[in-house]
Amino acid sequence: MFVRVHILSLFLVLSGFSKEPTAGEKLFSLHIKPLFVEKCMACHGDDPKKIKSEFDMRTRESILQGGEIFEDEVLIPGQGAKSYLYILSTRVEEDLEMPPKESDKLTDKETGWIREWIDDGAPWPSEQRITEIQDKYAEGVQVVTSKALSEDWQNRRYQEEKLWAYQPLKVEKVPSGKHPVDWFVNRKLAELGLKHAPDASARELFRRLSYGLTGLPPHPKEVRKFEKDFSQSKKALSIYAEELMDSPHYGEHFARHWLDVARYADSGGFANDYSRPNAWRYRDYVVRAFNQDKPYHQFVMEQLAGDEMNPNKTENLVATGFLRMGPWEQTGMSVFKETRQLWLDDVTDSVGQAFLAHAMQCAKCHDHKFDPVPTRDYYGMMAVFSTTQFAERKASFLPSEPRNNFDSFTALTQDKIASYEKQNRALQEKIKRLKIKETGSAKVGDNGLDPGDEASQSRIYKNLIRHKIELDRVQPFTHAVYTGKTIIRKNVQGRLDMPNNPWQEGYFDSDVIYNGGDAYSEGDAVTPSGLSAAESLGKMISTPFPAGKGKRRLALAKWIVDKRNPLTARVMVNRIWSWHFGRGLAGNPNNFGGTGELPTHPALLDYLANRFIKNGWSVKKLNHLILTSDTYRRSSRHPDPKSIDEKDPKGQFYAYFLPRRLVAEELRDSMLQVSGELNPDVGGIPVRPDINSEVAFQPRQIMGGTASVYEPDPLPNLRNRRTIYAEKLRGLRDPFMEAFNQPGSDASCELRESSTVAPQALTLLNTEEVQDRALAFAARLLKERKSDPAVIKRAFELALSRPATKNEVDACITRWKSAEKSENEKKPVHPSFPRKIKRTVMAEKTGEPYDFWEYLPASESYQPDLQRSQTDARTRGLAHICLILFNSNEFAYLD
Amino acid sequence: MKPQNMFAQLSRREALYGLGTGIGSLAFSSLAQAENIHSTGIHHPARAKRCIFLMMEGGPSHIDTFDPKPELEKRHLQKFKRNGERESAMSSGQRYFVKSPFEFEKAGKCGADFSSEWHHLKNYADDMCFYRGCQVESVNHPTACYHVNTGNRFGGDPAVGSWVTYGLGSLNDNLPGFVVLPRASYPQGGASNWSNGYLPADYQGTPLRPEGSPILDLNLPKGMTREDQRSNLDLLAQLNKKHFQNRPQQDELNARMSSYELAYRMQLEVPGILDIEGESEKTREAYGIGESKTDSFGRKCLLARRLVEKGVRFVQAYAGNWDSHDYISRAHGSLIRSVDKPIAALLGDLKARGLLEDTLVVWCGEFGRTPDNGIRGGGASYGRDHNPKAMTMWFAGGGTKAGNTIGATDEIGAEAVDCVHHIRDVHCTWLNLLGLDDNKLTYYHAGRYKQLSQFGGEVINELIA
Repeated sequence: MFVRVHILSLFLVLSGFSKEPTAGEKLFSLHIKPLFVEKCMACHGDDPKKIKSEFDMRTRESILQGGEIFEDEVLIPGQGAKSYLYILSTRVEEDLEMPPKESDKLTDKETGWIREWIDDGAPWPSEQRITEIQDKYAEGVQVVTSKALSEDWQNRRYQEEKLWAYQPLKVEKVPSGKHPVDWFVNRKLAELGLKHAPDASARELFRRLSYGLTGLPPHPKEVRKFEKDFSQSKKALSIYAEELMDSPHYGEHFARHWLDVARYADSGGFANDYSRPNAWRYRDYVVRAFNQDKPYHQFVMEQLAGDEMNPNKTENLVATGFLRMGPWEQTGMSVFKETRQLWLDDVTDSVGQAFLAHAMQCAKCHDHKFDPVPTRDYYGMMAVFSTTQFAERKASFLPSEPRNNFDSFTALTQDKIASYEKQNRALQEKIKRLKIKETGSAKVGDNGLDPGDEASQSRIYKNLIRHKIELDRVQPFTHAVYTGKTIIRKNVQGRLDMPNNPWQEGYFDSDVIYNGGDAYSEGDAVTPSGLSAAESLGKMISTPFPAGKGKRRLALAKWIVDKRNPLTARVMVNRIWSWHFGRGLAGNPNNFGGTGELPTHPALLDYLANRFIKNGWSVKKLNHLILTSDTYRRSSRHPDPKSIDEKDPKGQFYAYFLPRRLVAEELRDSMLQVSGELNPDVGGIPVRPDINSEVAFQPRQIMGGTASVYEPDPLPNLRNRRTIYAEKLRGLRDPFMEAFNQPGSDASCELRESSTVAPQALTLLNTEEVQDRALAFAARLLKERKSDPAVIKRAFELALSRPATKNEVDACITRWKSAEKSENEKKPVHPSFPRKIKRTVMAEKTGEPYDFWEYLPASESYQPDLQRSQTDARTRGLAHICLILFNSNEFAYLD
Repeated sequence: MKPQNMFAQLSRREALYGLGTGIGSLAFSSLAQAENIHSTGIHHPARAKRCIFLMMEGGPSHIDTFDPKPELEKRHLQKFKRNGERESAMSSGQRYFVKSPFEFEKAGKCGADFSSEWHHLKNYADDMCFYRGCQVESVNHPTACYHVNTGNRFGGDPAVGSWVTYGLGSLNDNLPGFVVLPRASYPQGGASNWSNGYLPADYQGTPLRPEGSPILDLNLPKGMTREDQRSNLDLLAQLNKKHFQNRPQQDELNARMSSYELAYRMQLEVPGILDIEGESEKTREAYGIGESKTDSFGRKCLLARRLVEKGVRFVQAYAGNWDSHDYISRAHGSLIRSVDKPIAALLGDLKARGLLEDTLVVWCGEFGRTPDNGIRGGGASYGRDHNPKAMTMWFAGGGTKAGNTIGATDEIGAEAVDCVHHIRDVHCTWLNLLGLDDNKLTYYHAGRYKQLSQFGGEVINELIA
């Protein structure tokens, strides 16, 4: 379906190429014209109705005429330095810098071209001659794509190096006996004249391995065992890596990486932030996929088109939850066409980012500014999804889906509902008793009702809906999609059922280009497609995608995992590399376009991508290959930091291992593991851990009222699960997670940030959850060891995976004793947990505050973690040491 | 996102932490960051050095505050129907016009329009610049709030305050650049309304919570004394120091050590900075502190003044909820009274201290309201729905055109018709007054230079004196 444009070979001898072009003609054809198109025409000609400052750059004549400010001084042929076209481009005139955006500013080379072109008389050859000149002299390469919006874009040229991601894999041979990772990395180091760091110590290495594969600290016994085995043979690492990958915690940790990309959350965001009760099954699907080492191509296919492959497989339906992971809601106040479009844009962009490392949104309103992605491709990809519809589809639970806690969750939710219903009954009776019919000019109170009661009515109504939706969490439904016509939804509150015949009711979304990205302005028709540049440059065999009632997503999925697709394997291999090393071989895992960082080791990336495919897209095999390299074993301390400063200032070349701070989830999970409180159960419905109670009790507005209060699960066993299982609400973030840079669930996150801000210190020093972990850790230590030095040594081994030095033991004991003394004087009171809390919010109808009671049924059976009141001064004193260890740099940073 | 260069920044940090910064001056520093906050610097001479953004969450009605529509008196209760693909359920179906329950009067030499519920603010009419031309895109609260706050309807992008702090840095190393004073109940869309988005965490809005601990975990945990904590921090420093000795190139370890000392000092100093009890009785009375209706917003306004005076660049204070679908008379009446005295006191106070001149005060909601209402279950009470096509915002100080009303809405206040601009142009103007150029204040993220206006906009020159 694409209109193909032929690449015109540089060697093609063109008949009728009349005479040699002048320098000015060449400049114009090769540089000035494309520059005008890229940097100027948006305001000065693309839209003849909206020309800024009356300056039209479409023809030589109109430029000679100038605009409202400089008129005929804009272009004085022969006098480049005096022409304002040149002067403004050099940005010396304040407020008239052209182009206005700093990020668009022209290079000295480019402004020089403008001056020289004017000096040469500002020639403006005919279109035909421009093409001739470009064909003969232009540098850079053209790319065959589907049809662009403009001819200039279609014909533009790219620096070849920026098209790296679209080229077929170039697989170099690695000499036998050499580890491929080291072969490529060391070759680069040799080029740079950089020596690599020695191996990390066995303890450091095992800690690195354990966190890298499971996100948890190693057990001291394992550390000692590894140290012994590793001292005998470096091959030990290979065995331990495999063991760790066999642990179910491996899948959890890798799923956490993928869920960052997918933007997992348990709620929909925006005004209602309603629960997505079945989203957890997608989360568990991802955990299982990594644990089972599901081939990546299958993983991609299922998430994109599981339902179109086989709708009778639960796993397939659950996987399509990926397509609905972005924030989305349809309230009575939203316009359906707009929310539908919001999703179509979102899914197009997120599929582009996740699987192809392309931020598709950049091509939504215009052909992509830098990459060979025409707007037609954007809408072609969007057309893949125009028959994709939401449904909570029935899918019975798999044996691998744990159904623990279903009953307790249901009971708690029912309690919450019952509590609201009880309040509601009393309220309704009161309203019935008092309500007076209103006239047109009614004022507050004319209906006989207390405005607070009226507000409560809507608040209770909304929260009842909210909790009833949650009840679906234990029902065999999936947060999934089907293929069919679009049905207008007015107000989505809860389960969306599958229609009996998906092609009966509804309409087909238009498969068109929306002009300028405006969903009310339909342009050319498109057909479903992938990225045309990947096809042409990657030498893919292009098979048209079905349209109409066909399986469009399945076609896209197959296109993505096609072995010739140049992007897919590179993208995933790069992600996995970045999960191990803290940076990608290509610096922007979600952006392989010309604006992303170029790969530092392209040959290694291609080698690994090819091997990944050859190994059946096995993530575990790829991990194993990476982890068994010398490169992975390197110390985080380079013996010659000066050489690094000079030759690798950005830390890109793996002469040493980049140290990293633990991510938010790892910090919390590690504290739970070290304190002995972690419940290592895998999978199941989301749990509600303790979070900062000020935030939990903080009223938050939803449409029509205030969301019901966050209640942690009553039992420690449930609360103290790994963080990946914590209910993730878009509208209520756990402040601990937020402080340590857990990304929000709105945008895909390619790699975690790690900032150092003072609130992190406040959190780790003062927040109740960390205090609780420290106390439990202290109690554990005293149960396991008797003498003071043994206790401290054990603490260091558990928390830091190493023995404490004598000085450390002494310093800790001294502090412990003084803390114990001060604790001896304290009489901790057992805290009480409120059964109800009073909340004050603004009533919409009066603009005045009103109070209401919120009941906390879960708190009736709440069992706190170990409390200070339940421990002696020796334990509490030791808890200070435990707190210090949790706060230490050594705990938070991995070598 | 990208690993920090572990070797390059040592000297800068050494300069920051090694030299004579006493306890007082370090105290509040970097709520945001234990790292020197760098900024882009101004692009042109600034009219304002700081900004106070009074966010009227919920969407105040222009028709009942500053934009009188006598035509609605005539059309009051006239019924009509509205339907269409672009209409939400809220604005579709049977509708009727609603006149304003309030009288209007002219105030100041400029003769600005104020509804009768404003008693104090009208004294500052000649210091205010009203703007009736702004339009937004979204009809829903969270998306519209995100749009006004971050320039992006779908959230996730940096807030105006983050951009301003990114551009101007902090005037005072001891204070965060961007402080938010939310209501006890967080707005729809939550903290994303003041998030730093893709900008570094340095530029995050720091909310000072009106109830409980103003900053989370600022207070010592139960059973912990100051002495306990000090001893703990000393041992922590000892352990960290030894760990650092073997890793002298890992600069972030050093930064993290410093952040603990900052955190310790913050606990000592921040409460004092936030304590408005030290203000004179007269000042407190002027802001309406102690009066039940005005106490809450009065405290925010007074705190806003204290904070900008101490060098905070950008303070955002929330008032609301202005979402009066029913009973606009009482609901808007009480809301206006709850902010009227505090805002008047704030303007007066800034003026008296010579701060108004270079402090930009912005007042707006996320959208305006409709001249008509729908019939909802129960009965017909006079209220208004959401209206993204018309709203009133006003500015004071900071180089805005005091004593002017710019732009206009149609005869019923349904749509802006004169000097009409998208919110992105307001954002460009806002930055412009602060010496920043939206086209230059960019940040490279996800393959693109991003900016507050998203894709560029224009400065509304009519608003600038």
